[in-house]
Amino acid sequence: MSQNEAGSEPLCSQSTVERVVLLLLLALAALLAYDNWRTGMSWDTDGPQAGYFPFYLSLILGAASLFGLIRQWVAHRAPEPTFVSRAAFRRVLQVFIPTLLFCFAMQWLGLYVASFLLVAGFMRWVGHIATWKSVLTAFVFSALMFVTFQIAFDVIMPKGPLEALFGL
Amino acid sequence: MQAEQSARVISARRHAAADQPAEQAAERRAGARRSAPQGVPRAAFGLELCHSVLNRWPARLAAMLMATVLSGAALAWEPSKPVEIVVAAGAGGASDQMARMMQAAIQKNSLMKQPVVVSLKGAASGAEALMYMKSDPADAHRALIAYSLIYMLPLSAKIPFNWRELTPVSVVALDQLVLWVNAKQPYESVKAFADAARSSATPFKMGGTGSRREDHVLTAFLEKKTGARFAYLPYKSGGEAATQLVGDHIQANVNNPSENLEVWRAGQVRPLCVFDKERIAYKSAVTATQSWNDIPTCREQGVDVQYLMLRALFLPGKVGPDTTAFYVDLFHRVTQTAEYKDYMEKQALKPIYLTGNDMLKFLQDDEALNRDLMTEAGFVAK
Amino acid sequence: MEALGLLLYGFSVLLTWKTLALMLVGLVLGIFVGVLPGLGGPNGVAILLPLTFTMDPTSAIVMLSCIYWGALFGGAITSILFNIPGEAWSVATTFDGYPMAQQGRAAEALTAAFTSSFIGSLVAVLLITFLAPGIASFALQFGPPEFFAVYLLTFCSFVGLGREAKHKTLISMALGLLLSGVGMDTVSGQLRMTFGSADLLRGVNFLVAVIGLFGISEILLTMEERLALRGHSARISLRVVWKVWRELPRYWATLLRSSIIGCWLGITPGGAIAASFMGYNLAKRFSKDKESFGKGRIEGVFAPETAAHASGTSALLPMLALGIPGSGTAAILLGGLMVWGLNPGPLLFVEHKEFVWGLIASMYLGNVVGLVLVLSTVPLFAAVLRVPFAAIAPMIVVSCAIGAYAIQNAVFDIWLMVGFGVVGYVFKKIDIPLAPLTLALVLGNRAEDAFRLSMIGSAGDLRVFWSNGLVGSVTTLALVLLFWPLLSRVFERMRATPA
Repeated sequence: MSQNEAGSEPLCSQSTVERVVLLLLLALAALLAYDNWRTGMSWDTDGPQAGYFPFYLSLILGAASLFGLIRQWVAHRAPEPTFVSRAAFRRVLQVFIPTLLFCFAMQWLGLYVASFLLVAGFMRWVGHIATWKSVLTAFVFSALMFVTFQIAFDVIMPKGPLEALFGL
Repeated sequence: MQAEQSARVISARRHAAADQPAEQAAERRAGARRSAPQGVPRAAFGLELCHSVLNRWPARLAAMLMATVLSGAALAWEPSKPVEIVVAAGAGGASDQMARMMQAAIQKNSLMKQPVVVSLKGAASGAEALMYMKSDPADAHRALIAYSLIYMLPLSAKIPFNWRELTPVSVVALDQLVLWVNAKQPYESVKAFADAARSSATPFKMGGTGSRREDHVLTAFLEKKTGARFAYLPYKSGGEAATQLVGDHIQANVNNPSENLEVWRAGQVRPLCVFDKERIAYKSAVTATQSWNDIPTCREQGVDVQYLMLRALFLPGKVGPDTTAFYVDLFHRVTQTAEYKDYMEKQALKPIYLTGNDMLKFLQDDEALNRDLMTEAGFVAK
Repeated sequence: MEALGLLLYGFSVLLTWKTLALMLVGLVLGIFVGVLPGLGGPNGVAILLPLTFTMDPTSAIVMLSCIYWGALFGGAITSILFNIPGEAWSVATTFDGYPMAQQGRAAEALTAAFTSSFIGSLVAVLLITFLAPGIASFALQFGPPEFFAVYLLTFCSFVGLGREAKHKTLISMALGLLLSGVGMDTVSGQLRMTFGSADLLRGVNFLVAVIGLFGISEILLTMEERLALRGHSARISLRVVWKVWRELPRYWATLLRSSIIGCWLGITPGGAIAASFMGYNLAKRFSKDKESFGKGRIEGVFAPETAAHASGTSALLPMLALGIPGSGTAAILLGGLMVWGLNPGPLLFVEHKEFVWGLIASMYLGNVVGLVLVLSTVPLFAAVLRVPFAAIAPMIVVSCAIGAYAIQNAVFDIWLMVGFGVVGYVFKKIDIPLAPLTLALVLGNRAEDAFRLSMIGSAGDLRVFWSNGLVGSVTTLALVLLFWPLLSRVFERMRATPA
């Protein structure tokens, strides 16, 4: 996948990530198994209790994760395939961090302002598109969303101080 | 607070417009909303937006002037955006039907300038709707159609909710519950049905909506009073319980009249008795031979089990008194419409109208009653 | 024949310029809400419902059913272009539709989706026209054991199909089933796996999960591989349509199979969601070239779309005849009917004949007009892929967020979506398949409820799943499909060593 890029050293290997994920799943399985055991996981006179299926499912999830872990341990694949290279990971973060910021910003600024910032910022800094083009596109997009959801269809999205200023 | 202020500005602008050329624009604003339901192109909305932005400063000025001139009543609260009617049940259920009826009644009779949106929040047996009402206590644009779940859910599932956290508006109806059997079954009375259930080798299957709720409670009390054993099957909606009864997968169900109305009219199910102290008042024929009034009460038949389910409206907990006043008035006017009266009769709802302190008193008594029933049935979570 | 006469009467009422114009408006609005991620089928139709309150019943029905058609058609568009399914039944369309779009065959995939939707719903409408009363009584035969058997069949048709390691499929499915159980348990009324959180009370919404797993994770992957959305070379002309249509006869078996599955599951109240998955799985199972599925095979678009629309259409039948909506969107339509005092139920066909046949006639017309309309929009939608990635990526993120938020008006759901986005990205990279997770998430809870209701009814006796011909044959079929790989090996060995 990403090995074709010259000069980008691997950030971590496929098996490391797999191991971490399997461990996390194992922990999740343990947590859910405990919670369902507390809820009640036996077979009542009139069929299974609320926790019955989830309990055994979490056992299955745990067992499958454990199996995966053991198989990882035993089998050593000679050339470790790369999970993601440094350069590729940087690009992933380039979209992931703005997404996170957008989600935070939305709670304070409202969806429409946040989406304007996200689109304009992403186009300008990540896409290296001319500022006026970025700002214009972002404005048209946010305005379109606003007209569609707020005005035409009465779907109420989170709003912030700017909208309040206009009395909306 | 903020929302209220801006709403005041808008309503003041409407008054201020009286002696200004802006009147036409204001008319258009109201007209645009009303014409929207007719599928007219939405170009008018653009105008509306411009108008509201351009007209802002004069409007605020006018509002300040008006505030000194006009009495408080003229500045009464009004919704500034679409009002959501929150339904704590799935689509097609009795609550949903009621919400749609109110939506139609409000819009057909132009009882409110803003449109009404019905939002279904039936997840987690309706707990989703309760949590949604709690999530924004100051939002004056959502109203809950509540029923007995407001007492029962906190008891059976330990949901952190109490109806006192909401603002009561009015109780608009009481819903009956009726014991139904498949028309192909031979039982003509509760007694015959209970005898058959008692002597059956496998327990009779009783369908209802949800677990540890009114339907389940009634089943538990039927067991107590008749000595029969039932296997209670909790379905997701009353409609499902009705279909399952017609398909003969269950022997009986305890549905609301509205949920079984159509299959009764089609002669597929038979009502045995109504769980109330008196018969349903409506005497006009529903099927070829029977009216709602022809269904005996369970008490008449020697099985004294009674339950009436409230249908009431609530607002979030921290809305202002003028907001509450607006909704009390709005829903009072809804109860006066032809649509509402027609609906009540068709669905065999028991008329009642309570608001203010009467409602509080009713809710307290009703809650105590429900708690007793739930405790006796053993449905209160430890 | 009475049905035909009534249908012709229905057409005669509908064929006026005014109704045709309303039809177009309804379709355009329907497609529009189907495409917008925040609206989707049920939400969109619910929002547009009040539009019809002031119309006369005939116009209102035409308008509503056209909105419904439009929303059905529109759902496929985002699945194919951006890997974001708008409805549960569009999920299976993404499996092959999105890879096709990535290979620059978006126009082809869209045409295939629309055409097969048309075929699926046409078969279903024909079925409704001629068999309506009889079919309604078939739907009544479904009690809890029958429902469970159908869900079991869907799961079993899925197992053993993937190329991924078995334990990874198991992880994915178990995780999906667990997530579908979060929230309130209907059967006991207890809360489970919520850890006291009010946000988890609602459970994990399927669409929120899917928007994250497919939409957001796809953006991350695309960015990592530094690919723009590949659609530049897509040549769009009538020739694409012609090319796809010429291929159709070759897949007659798939189309027929999917139509039958769709109709069957659609009239089973609540079974419509399983249809597209089952259509896809069976097409894959019976195909000689299983490996090419999931890599942009046109049959992988035909199969789920035909099944989804056959079921979406035939889902209207139990709704009209029994008052039980087969899908979320049908449920909203049901609400619409009740506003005009038309109470769906067994008597609707008797008391409001003209209404029912008007509706059925409008299904035919809406479907035909809809096909022409959506096909003409293919170039427009395919052109979306030519927009630079740097502009489209943030817009997709915003659309996903709107979609996730609008479902339950909860900010928590946006975070959940981002979380699922990360999970989807990591899972795709370490080869944990996402399809079993989504299937389990949609059907897990229903299957569990059906199983437990069966158990309450039979006092814990498992033989209830073989208690009559219908449930017995479905259960057996499910088990045969589950052990098919094993059975086929046994058969082969028997053939190899003739006794």
